[in-house]
Amino acid sequence: MTESALPRSPAPARRPGAAVRFWHSYRAHRAGLLGLGALTLIAAVALLAPLLADEDVRKVTGAPGDPLEPPSAAFWLGTDQFGRPLLGLLVWGARISLTVGLLAAGMSVAIGALVGIAAGHYGGWFATVLMRVTDWFLVMPTLVLAIVLATVMSRSVWTVIIAIGVTSWPTTARLVRAQTVAVESRPYIERAKALGGGHRHIMSRHVLPNVMPLVLAQTTLGISAAILTEATLAFLGLGDPMVVSWGGMLQEAREAGAVSSGHWWCLAPPGLAIAVVALAFTLCGRTIETVLDPRRGVDR
Amino acid sequence: MVAEPSESRARARPWMCAVAALLVLAPAAPSAAPSGGGRQVLTVAVSQSVDSLSPFLAKRLVSTTVHRLAYEYLTNYDPGDGRVIPGLATAWKSSPSKLTWTYTIRENSRWSDGRRATADDAAWTFNRMMSDEKAAAANGSFTANFREVTAPDPRTLVVELKKPQANMVALDIPIVPRHVWERIGDLSAFNNDRHFPIVGNGPFVITGFEVDQFIRLEPNKDFWRGAPAFDELLLKFYKDGDAAVAALRKGEVSFVQGLVPAQAAALRRTADIRVNDAPGRRFLALAVNPGARARNGRAFGTGHRALRDPAVRRALFHAVDRREIVEGLFQGHATEGAGYIPPRFGAYFWRPEPHQEIAHDPARAAALLDGAGYRRKGDGVRTGKNGEPLALRLLCHAADPYDAHIGRYLHEVWRELGVETRMECRDNVSDSWLKGDYDLAFDGWSVNPDPDFVLSIHTCAALPATPSGSGSTDNFICDRRFDELYARQIAEYDPVKRAEVVKRMQSRLYDTGLMNVLAYPNAVEAYRTDHIESITTMPEDGGSLWGQDGYWSWWSAKPADGHGRSGEAASATEVVVGIGALIAAAAVLTGLVALRRRATADDRE
Repeated sequence: MTESALPRSPAPARRPGAAVRFWHSYRAHRAGLLGLGALTLIAAVALLAPLLADEDVRKVTGAPGDPLEPPSAAFWLGTDQFGRPLLGLLVWGARISLTVGLLAAGMSVAIGALVGIAAGHYGGWFATVLMRVTDWFLVMPTLVLAIVLATVMSRSVWTVIIAIGVTSWPTTARLVRAQTVAVESRPYIERAKALGGGHRHIMSRHVLPNVMPLVLAQTTLGISAAILTEATLAFLGLGDPMVVSWGGMLQEAREAGAVSSGHWWCLAPPGLAIAVVALAFTLCGRTIETVLDPRRGVDR
Repeated sequence: MVAEPSESRARARPWMCAVAALLVLAPAAPSAAPSGGGRQVLTVAVSQSVDSLSPFLAKRLVSTTVHRLAYEYLTNYDPGDGRVIPGLATAWKSSPSKLTWTYTIRENSRWSDGRRATADDAAWTFNRMMSDEKAAAANGSFTANFREVTAPDPRTLVVELKKPQANMVALDIPIVPRHVWERIGDLSAFNNDRHFPIVGNGPFVITGFEVDQFIRLEPNKDFWRGAPAFDELLLKFYKDGDAAVAALRKGEVSFVQGLVPAQAAALRRTADIRVNDAPGRRFLALAVNPGARARNGRAFGTGHRALRDPAVRRALFHAVDRREIVEGLFQGHATEGAGYIPPRFGAYFWRPEPHQEIAHDPARAAALLDGAGYRRKGDGVRTGKNGEPLALRLLCHAADPYDAHIGRYLHEVWRELGVETRMECRDNVSDSWLKGDYDLAFDGWSVNPDPDFVLSIHTCAALPATPSGSGSTDNFICDRRFDELYARQIAEYDPVKRAEVVKRMQSRLYDTGLMNVLAYPNAVEAYRTDHIESITTMPEDGGSLWGQDGYWSWWSAKPADGHGRSGEAASATEVVVGIGALIAAAAVLTGLVALRRRATADDRE
């Protein structure tokens, strides 16, 4: 071990090994690979949207087709009530759904991790207060709270992100707190304290890395929930009406009377897209959770 | 009530609509009023919430429609050509001074509790509106100019005016029974929706009401013009258009209005359903906030300063192609907007002269903004000399698909022009509206045969007394020239001359650029021919059924053979659940996979 001569700790050297080991375990899960494949494909579509579909596809002025045309050679998925090709809208909608999903889940997990670690580390009355607040958010129906938030704030993508982010963190907070308490009871934390490690040092250097796998898995799972909530809010007409999103496409189809008129091609593609993305994130999240499960000794 | 906010400016409580939308996912069809077996029920799907069932307070179209059915007005309008015909009054004449009107009240009209309806009831109704500000909330503009109203005998009603008033034969005020209403102290707190049946003398009697569920009406057997043929008229509330259409397909309702083009096209291909697509009496306009003001001169609200410049207003509407709105967004179910009063009222319809017309001309629009000092760098947003960007808020009704669609169109054409718009879609737009907290807003009124009311809401007198008060003003317009013309038209008894003045008023309103009529939407409605055998439209030739000026459609409707003989209650709306199911399916699927994964993960340990 020549590295031991270097001033750095051995941890960074161990990281690549950990990543490779992680990938080896992940690869063993077929469902996880399937989810990952689907996600890569959808992410590529979202990133390449400007190349795949003309930017003007979102414009209601000068739309190429007639309103509500069924699928044809010219319009593979048919057109919406403005005569816009649905395939193009679906491609652009992927951007919003993924952005909102990632940011909202990130925000939710960030809040959850912060509250969880703080409550787990400090304990006492501070933790009691924090966890009672968490409980309060936990018993509030997320969707109703998000609807209220989206109603009182102005209609925009950020509103939806915030509405989802601030309502869905309590589960993460509870999980992270439990893990924090478990980690802090270990002897090396006591050792760190004895050597003069302050609150910040312990939380950021010892607790956070240990709860990270949990947080990561929770984020991946949170994304699919966030995407579903975004679609629900947009479907209920609480999204930004100017933005093309999958939930918004469903809402517009409903407003245009697609349901009672039998225009299935307006409803099925965005609905299936939402289902596929949510499923893909769930598959990945579950696999990551299994692979990183602290009880299995990986990345300890 | 001469006109009422068509898409209800005051649309329920804040997140009421969100809740309503949730119901789409589990659309417990309003626990329908129990209707007995063998009765022939005419069920009408409505979406607008009732504001009040008190004739002194009600402004919305659904409420005033019910009042037309439940109370007699002095006069009515002929279903054929819309001319004034007798209602509670059989004859009327004005004195040579034009200041005294004498009405002869009919002897054969009875209240539903058996008493005779007399001139005294009419006099009491008008006097109450003149003496009690709370009673003037909805229809006060009719009686503001009355000096004295008396009933020398049960058959004679005499109205003395302060100044001549041209709409005296079109007083759309429900006459209420004095013996019931004089017991009510505070009219602003009384909604007339507690004790059923509600005493009235119209073709129907209101026998039941549940907020946002149903209004039940039963025929008035003693109605002087003849009793309606159906055993019951049930107005059932559907907050979702597609749910109402599904109910129509199932036969759960007999009539649906407010259809969007796809629904109308699909229903045209359906057996036993007739689609009626008729010119409406509504206009859809974009109202500009000219800077909200109260009568005491105090300015309030947050209207954008740039909109006080007429050149900016002209520029905005030079960029709009009304033809594209009608053909693209309404798909032909509307007429291109021109003057303030819809073409259906031919005598008053006005169209701008070529020299004043704000026609579609984007280049002109850009030049006007350049000239007004709003320059743009590259493709960005134009900024004024003071550096303020030309970014406007557009107030829209969250539940109205057309608002959102047109808003999108405007957003795009104005962006080309260098003007940024942000849509603020609310379930309840009234709050922002009354406070003047908007720049542009979607506005629409149903116009009645006499145009006085829709004109009166743009006069200075309609402004609120103080910033916190609420006047009857539409969008805070106060224009001296318009007011002068308003005073002339209301005093002009010669119909031809009056129409001339009304046209000049529209011309003036058009030139201000504060009310921009985009389209006159058609009334697109459908009914089941196996429920309704015949029904009268208004005008009889190619007219509409819902929101008529009179009560003709529901009074004249004849049941089809076999309707109502068998139980035909079915739960509709499964179709609507479909969309919800798509989302729900995703949730369930991920949940199942999650469970499975968790299970296998546990097994491995």
